[in-house]
Amino acid sequence: MSADAALKTIKPSDLPSPPQAAIEIMRACSTREPRTRELSRIASSDPQLTAEILRVVNSPFFGMANKIQSIPRAVTVLGQRALRSLVLCISVRDSMSGREIPGFDTTQYWEDALRRAVAARMLGQLVRLDPDECFTAGLLQDFGMLVMIYLQPEWAGMWSELHQQDPVSRYSLERDTFENTHDNVIKVLSKAWSLPEDLALALGSHHHCDDVVMQEEQSKLCKILYSSDWMAAVFSASDKNLVLDQCRELPNECLGISQDKVDEILAAMPEQVAEAASALGLHVTQQQDFEQIMRDANVRLVEENTTYQELTWKLEKALKERDRLAEELNKELELAREIQQSLQPKDGGDDFPLTGINIAAKELSGDFYDFFSLPDGRIYFNIGDVSGKGVYAALLMAKTISLFHCLGKQIHDPGILLSQINDEICETSIRGMFITMIAGLYNPKTGNVSLVNAGNPPALVLKADGKVGAFEADAPPIGVVPGAEFTKKELNLKGGSLYMFSDGVSEGRTASGEMLGIRGFMKMILKLNKLAPKEQLKKIVGFFQQSSEPIRDDITVLLLRDHHGK
Amino acid sequence: MEYEIKTEGQYTILMISGEVDLYYSPRAREQILKHLGDKKHLLVDLSGVEYIDSSGVASLVEGLQLAKSSQLEFGLIGVSDAAMQVLQLARLDKVFPIHASVSERLDSNK
Repeated sequence: MSADAALKTIKPSDLPSPPQAAIEIMRACSTREPRTRELSRIASSDPQLTAEILRVVNSPFFGMANKIQSIPRAVTVLGQRALRSLVLCISVRDSMSGREIPGFDTTQYWEDALRRAVAARMLGQLVRLDPDECFTAGLLQDFGMLVMIYLQPEWAGMWSELHQQDPVSRYSLERDTFENTHDNVIKVLSKAWSLPEDLALALGSHHHCDDVVMQEEQSKLCKILYSSDWMAAVFSASDKNLVLDQCRELPNECLGISQDKVDEILAAMPEQVAEAASALGLHVTQQQDFEQIMRDANVRLVEENTTYQELTWKLEKALKERDRLAEELNKELELAREIQQSLQPKDGGDDFPLTGINIAAKELSGDFYDFFSLPDGRIYFNIGDVSGKGVYAALLMAKTISLFHCLGKQIHDPGILLSQINDEICETSIRGMFITMIAGLYNPKTGNVSLVNAGNPPALVLKADGKVGAFEADAPPIGVVPGAEFTKKELNLKGGSLYMFSDGVSEGRTASGEMLGIRGFMKMILKLNKLAPKEQLKKIVGFFQQSSEPIRDDITVLLLRDHHGK
Repeated sequence: MEYEIKTEGQYTILMISGEVDLYYSPRAREQILKHLGDKKHLLVDLSGVEYIDSSGVASLVEGLQLAKSSQLEFGLIGVSDAAMQVLQLARLDKVFPIHASVSERLDSNK
C-alpha cells in the first residue's frame, strides 16, 4: 500500500497525540535559537511533563547525572536537537500508555523498540551521527505497528507471530494482516506530530532506503534504522541463524561497519536496553545474553545439519535399496526371458521346412511360435500373439504353448486342438486376455497343410509360380468365446512358401514412419523369397530395426517352405 | 484417450475416443467394469477411437464376458473404421453385438 493509500485509511485524528507542551518544546527546539523566556513559559504550563523531561535528561543513560534543573538549561547543556529527541521519546512512550489490548504484549513491544533504539544509537556513534537522534529514530521506527494494533485491535492476536519474524517477513505479514505497513503509518504520524523532515524521511523509508533520494546524513540514518531492525531481531526472531547472517552483513554492506563491531554492539545491547528502560521509566524483563543466543543458534545449526545429514543418509539408503530391487527384478526378468526362449523350438537346420524369428519390444514377449514333428513325419506348427504385453502376456503365452505342445501330440487335427485349447483358456483366462493364433499341420511328403486361423493376421501363401494367396482368420481369437468352433482349411503348397506373422509386422513402421500393412508385407516377401529362409527373416526384422521409431510391438514371423515337388 | 458417460433409458453409454493402447486401456477397463459392476447394461461408443491395440480389445472382451456372466447386455456403438479393422481382422466383429447408433439399439427393443 502506498503512503497516499495509507493516508486515506488512517486519519490524523485516529493517531495518538503528544501533550501540547511537548509539541511546543519540540517546535521551539526546531528553531535556530530557542528563546529562554519562551521555553520557561512552556515548561511552567505543564509541570508534570517538565519534571519527567528533567528526570530523563539527568539519567545516567543520557549522561547528565543531576546537573540540569530547567528546560532552558537543558537546551544550553544538551543542545536543542538532543532535547527535542528526548521530548519525542517521552511523548512516544506516553502516547499509548494506559491502553490495554487483549492479546498484545506491551512490555514485549517496548523491549523490541528499545533494542532497535540502543542498536541505532551505537551504530550512530560509529558513523558519527547524533546518537540521541538515532536513539529516538530507533524508538520510533516501528511505532506504526503499535498504532495499527491499537486501531485494529481484532488483529492483536497476531502480535506473538509478528514479534517472532525477521524484519522482512514481519513487513509482509503486516501487509497481509493490516493491509498497511508501519512505515506508511509513521509517515502520517510524522506529519501530524510535525516531526523534523529529515527524521520523518528516514522513518518512512527505512525498509526501502535505496529507493528514495536522500542527502548523505538522511541516507545514513535510514540505513542505521534498517540495520538496527535486524540487530534487534537477533533477540526476538525464532530463526536466529538467518537473522544473525543478515545483521552481520547488512551494516558492513551499507555502513562499512565490520562484523566484529556488530557483534560488540549485539553483546552490549542487553545492558543498554536495561539502562535505557530505566531512564525512560519503561518496564522490561530480564534481557537474554547475546552469548547465550549464539550458543543456542549454534546448537540449532548443528541439529539442522544433523537432520540434513540424516536425510541424505536415508535418501542414499533408499536409492541403494531401489537399485538393489531393480537389479533383482532385472535378474528375474532375465530368467523369465531365458525360460521363454527355451519354450521356442530349436533351430531345425537348413533343410528343415520351418524357420521362425521373434523380437520382443519389451523384456518379455507376448508373441510366440512353435513347431515339432509327429512320429509319422508330419509337423505341427503355430504362431500366436497374446493381447497386451509384459509378464501377464508372457505367462499366458507359456501356458498356450505348453497346451499346444502337450495336446498336439495326441490330437492330430488343428481345428479340434484349438477348440480344446480355447475351452481351457476360456475357463481360466482373466482380464479379457486372448490369443490370436494360427495353427497348422504340415505333411512334408505331400505338401499338404491343414490350417486354422483364430483371429490372427492372414497367413500368406506364395506359390512357386509367384501367385500370392491369403488365408484370413475365420474364427475368433482363443480365450474369447467358450465352445467356439475352429474349422481347418486344407491347402497344398506345391513347392511354395507359407508366411505367418504377428500384427507387430503388419502394423510395424517403415523408415518413413508409415504403417507397413499386409500389402506392404506381401511386396516385401515377393522381393525376398529367392533368399534362404533364415536370410529372409533377418532382412524382415532388419527392415523394422532400421526405422527411426523404436519397435512398439513384438515382431514374429514363421516361414514354412515346402520342398515337395522340387 | 478421453471418455464420457451418459445414460439413455436403461443403458449406460460409455463414449471412448482417441488412442486406446497399452497405456490407456486400463482406464477404459476401469470404466467398463465399474458400470457393469453397478449392474448397468453397457453400450461402448467407439466412434471417436483413432487407434485400439490388443490390450484395448481385451478390455472390451472382458466387458463382454463379465456382462454375459452377470446377465447384462454389452454392445459396441458406432465403431470407427480404425477400430472396426482391428475387430474384423481378429474376427471379433462377429463376437461383439455391434450397433450403428444408440437409437438403433433402442429402436430394436420396441
